[in-house]
Amino acid sequence: MIDVSALTKRYGDFTAVRDLSFTVQPGEVLGLVGPNGAGKTSTLRSLAGIIPATSGSVRIGGIDLAADPVAAKRQLAFFPDEPRLFDYLTVRQHLNFVARIYGVADHAALAQPLLEELEIAEKADQLPGELSRGMKQKLAIACGLLHSPRVMFFDEPLTGLDPLGIRRMKDSILRRAREGAAIVLSSHLLHLLEEVCSHVLILKKGGKIAHGTLAEISAQFAHGETGVSLEEIFIRATGGSEN
Amino acid sequence: MLGALLYLRLTSLKNLVRSRLLRLRQPKYLLGAIVGLAYFYFIFSRPFGGASGPVSASAGGALPIASIPAVELIPLLSVFGAFALLLIALFTWVAPSEKPGLAFNEAEVAFLFPAPISRRRLIHFRLLGAQLQILLSAILFTLLSRGWSFLGGNILTHTVGWWLILTVINLHFTGAALTLTRLFDAGISVSRRRLVILVGVALIIVATAISIWHYAPPFPSGNVGPGAFFGAVARTIDTGLLHWLLLPGKLLLAPFLAADVRAFFFALGPAALLLAAHYFWVSRLEVSFEEASMARAEKHAARTARFQSGDYRLGSAPAQARREPFRLRVPGRPELAFLWKNLLGTRSLFHWRVWAVCAVVIAVGVPWIVRRGQPAPIGAIIAIVAAFVAAYTLLLGPQLARQDLRSDLPNSDILKTYPLAGWQILLGELLAPIAILTGLLWLALLAAVLALEPRAPTLAWLTPGFRLTAGLCLAATVPVLCALQLLIPNAATLLFPAWFQSTRTRGGGIELMGQRLIFVMGQLFIILLSLLPVVLGSALVIFASQWLIGLPAAVVLATALALTILAAEVACGLWWLGDRFEKLDLATELRP
Repeated sequence: MIDVSALTKRYGDFTAVRDLSFTVQPGEVLGLVGPNGAGKTSTLRSLAGIIPATSGSVRIGGIDLAADPVAAKRQLAFFPDEPRLFDYLTVRQHLNFVARIYGVADHAALAQPLLEELEIAEKADQLPGELSRGMKQKLAIACGLLHSPRVMFFDEPLTGLDPLGIRRMKDSILRRAREGAAIVLSSHLLHLLEEVCSHVLILKKGGKIAHGTLAEISAQFAHGETGVSLEEIFIRATGGSEN
Repeated sequence: MLGALLYLRLTSLKNLVRSRLLRLRQPKYLLGAIVGLAYFYFIFSRPFGGASGPVSASAGGALPIASIPAVELIPLLSVFGAFALLLIALFTWVAPSEKPGLAFNEAEVAFLFPAPISRRRLIHFRLLGAQLQILLSAILFTLLSRGWSFLGGNILTHTVGWWLILTVINLHFTGAALTLTRLFDAGISVSRRRLVILVGVALIIVATAISIWHYAPPFPSGNVGPGAFFGAVARTIDTGLLHWLLLPGKLLLAPFLAADVRAFFFALGPAALLLAAHYFWVSRLEVSFEEASMARAEKHAARTARFQSGDYRLGSAPAQARREPFRLRVPGRPELAFLWKNLLGTRSLFHWRVWAVCAVVIAVGVPWIVRRGQPAPIGAIIAIVAAFVAAYTLLLGPQLARQDLRSDLPNSDILKTYPLAGWQILLGELLAPIAILTGLLWLALLAAVLALEPRAPTLAWLTPGFRLTAGLCLAATVPVLCALQLLIPNAATLLFPAWFQSTRTRGGGIELMGQRLIFVMGQLFIILLSLLPVVLGSALVIFASQWLIGLPAAVVLATALALTILAAEVACGLWWLGDRFEKLDLATELRP
């Protein structure tokens, strides 16, 4: 579903992502982790087609993102860490707008259960300025889910959510994965990765340090010890520093 | 303690100046600074009403007021200036909301309010902080008024004069804000306060009207010059009760208007007393202003954030959900979704129903007014006004109607994940301002066409039929012309996002002003360049074909050519900029 081959992203002389290759199959949730400045956000933004990769290729559902970005983007949704909303569109109008952009014909029928699932149905006629940070996040999520994307990219998906919201978000991610979506999420919250991700990709200074299932990664860095936490594995993998 | 506050102010100022100087290493700021300085040099070096010098100056001025002899002019300025100060004072007491508080920013609130600093010291900190701005403003106003030939005194007396005026105004604002806060805390509501003040104002107006009726000198009749006219107005104002109300303002203005240094020193005493009285008033006030100041700081921060994100509303009231401009059907062209979205972000006034009502009013009203106004040239006046409105809308409209990519640039990450080509997003974003400007231009055009009824024999060729044809042809070009006009600032946004983002910063110094000037000049230059082939081609077509097919048909033919060229330019622009949008990485572009 997501096929990344030799992805490189450079900003001038600085290489943010170096020669990154991996795949994410339907039903898999890949956790992107790494210290600050490891290249997680640049990777996610390149995968979502927000910024062009300097070299390498990204295929979404078999479609080359660089060659046919419109067709590739039809299948994906990107959820930024900070909800970006339009100040003058109500919750419902946001969904209406997104429906038109993605050509979701039966959006009214899809929107209502989505709003109810995310518990913002009561706020349907309110503007973003009247919503709390968590509600805005939920609206951004509803907008992303409306066109039933097969590929999802989450950048720090739990930011700003209350404990109940965090629980629901985890359930929602797992449910979408069970329904066949390929998901990549970036987070510093290692317990989230343990609970949600089937695979982990550890980045450092733009390069891949480790990639595999949680069990594989654990085996790689546990050095035979048992009961080593993901936090310990992360520290061992990254050398305990950003550099 | 005051030393610490002074340290904060001076260190902040030093760092501000340092950072401003350091950022001049970036070409965008350096170029902006050069243009800004050149602009100020042009403004300050330009004489206003004649050569700079002492009181001599009745000599040739551009404004009618400059023709009044200085001996008569200074007392007039004193009266009118004092009247303006009186209105400002009145505004200070009527306008503020419940508890105006004092102006502190959020950092000051966070650090100073919990600190062991007395309220009185905080007030002094505020007054001290305002002094920097006042001093800079005094210098700026002195430079601006440098060329006012009718003023006596010198640069120092003018600077001190301005400083006195601005300081007393600032003290009055502060005192009024604190007093109003105290009144509100004492249970006097805003409406009650305003009612009392307005009743007082009404009584003063009545008393003034009576004294004018009885004591004011008669108004000169016949064809009087500006000196006699303004003199009569000033004498009428400066009568009875109003004479005493204007006295503090006149005392305050006297040092600035002093003819020479001796007169300045004589005037300085009363003005300084006024300042001291204000200071005594403010420094003695013991008011709990913290809560109101915090609310004010939050509002200010929210307004600044809104401004930087492209929302230029002045008020602090939260936005409210609006009725949709039209029903957005799904599926359909995605570009129209942007039109729908951006129209929702404009004022409710920009609605097709409002436009239709205006069109009907113009269509019925203008011919009626023209008929009723004859033989006066009302039609010509309406046509000229409409032409001015149209020119203003076309030239400045794109700077004001910003419901396009300029407002949506912070959302570019989300826009780029949409399954649309770059040109589609750009076109969609442009549609709302195109619709708004086109609507306004069509109304102006309608008024001009209906009002224009030339009677001169030399304009006999402007028959009603030709006027209608030309009007329709112009109306057809308007949307494409607007699209071209709007494409340029959006292109600037995409090509120089860092420049564009920096021009969004409010204030920000001479270099940012220079950057804004560069943008405006660039817009004018490119639009002229783009229109050159359109104008030349159309003129050539009219010149070559009117002998064969007649003028109206030649105009239609020229319009078709103009539309083709304009549409091609817009299409090329959209395609090129759409590609640029797809490749844009705002985070990289805005990296310092």
